[in-house]
Amino acid sequence: MSLQKKTLFRYRQYFPQETLRETSARTGIQITRVFRLFNGKTMKVGELEAFEAAVNLRIAENPNMSLLSEAVESAGAILTNEELAKVTDYVQRKVKARSFSRMYIRNDYTNASIA
Amino acid sequence: MKGLSSLERAVLECLGKKSLTYDEVQFQSGLHENVCFNILQALIIRGIIATDGMRYRISDNLSPLIQEEINGMSAKLAESMEIIEAVLDQPDGRNFKFAKIAMDARDEKIFLAMLSNLESFLLDAHKKAEPMVPLKDRKVVFWGVGEVSTLMHQMIRGR
Repeated sequence: MSLQKKTLFRYRQYFPQETLRETSARTGIQITRVFRLFNGKTMKVGELEAFEAAVNLRIAENPNMSLLSEAVESAGAILTNEELAKVTDYVQRKVKARSFSRMYIRNDYTNASIA
Repeated sequence: MKGLSSLERAVLECLGKKSLTYDEVQFQSGLHENVCFNILQALIIRGIIATDGMRYRISDNLSPLIQEEINGMSAKLAESMEIIEAVLDQPDGRNFKFAKIAMDARDEKIFLAMLSNLESFLLDAHKKAEPMVPLKDRKVVFWGVGEVSTLMHQMIRGR
């Protein structure tokens, strides 16, 4: 995955429900440009930094995030492979359980009419 | 992540050998509408559940690999841990006791016999009420026992 794709993917993970207008306001990039970037247009360095800065700001709102990063660093150095597998599984389960409440939105077509 | 999450397991347990509509699965599991739908979709994508558009059922031809993934011991243990943690995190009505008990050999035998009685009581109770009580209203019960020194050594060894 290219750096641009990674950045946008990461941004979407932190702001999954955000509209283009909100992304534009948060990053300071024009809305039409945001649309193009999400559709594969090549990013400028400044735009990449704007997305990164937004993500970093969100991370900074949660002080436990840096503790987690530190813990993961030490875990990688000290724990056995088996223990690392357990920790990974634990984190993945937490993430999965939460992601079920924010993945897709069920469309309700029961009261829909054809215009 | 290996195996199923406990939420996915709950949906599978609701289905069992039956074929249920979406509303029935939601009623049985007690899950929020979106969550229930997302879990069903995730299980369909993995080929664990099949649907004809109206009703959901567990796929007939689950590959041995998926069966092992679902029923494997390590995955089941991780699932139990998820549920146990949720019990500990319960904000209201938490009933959890944890203690290091000194027991002589006689009392230990009595204790193990009582555990055995408890287990058969729970099995009978479950058998009796299973058809009437939906999954969401069932109780999570767990117990376990270990020797302090063994457990400590296990923690130090990293197993």
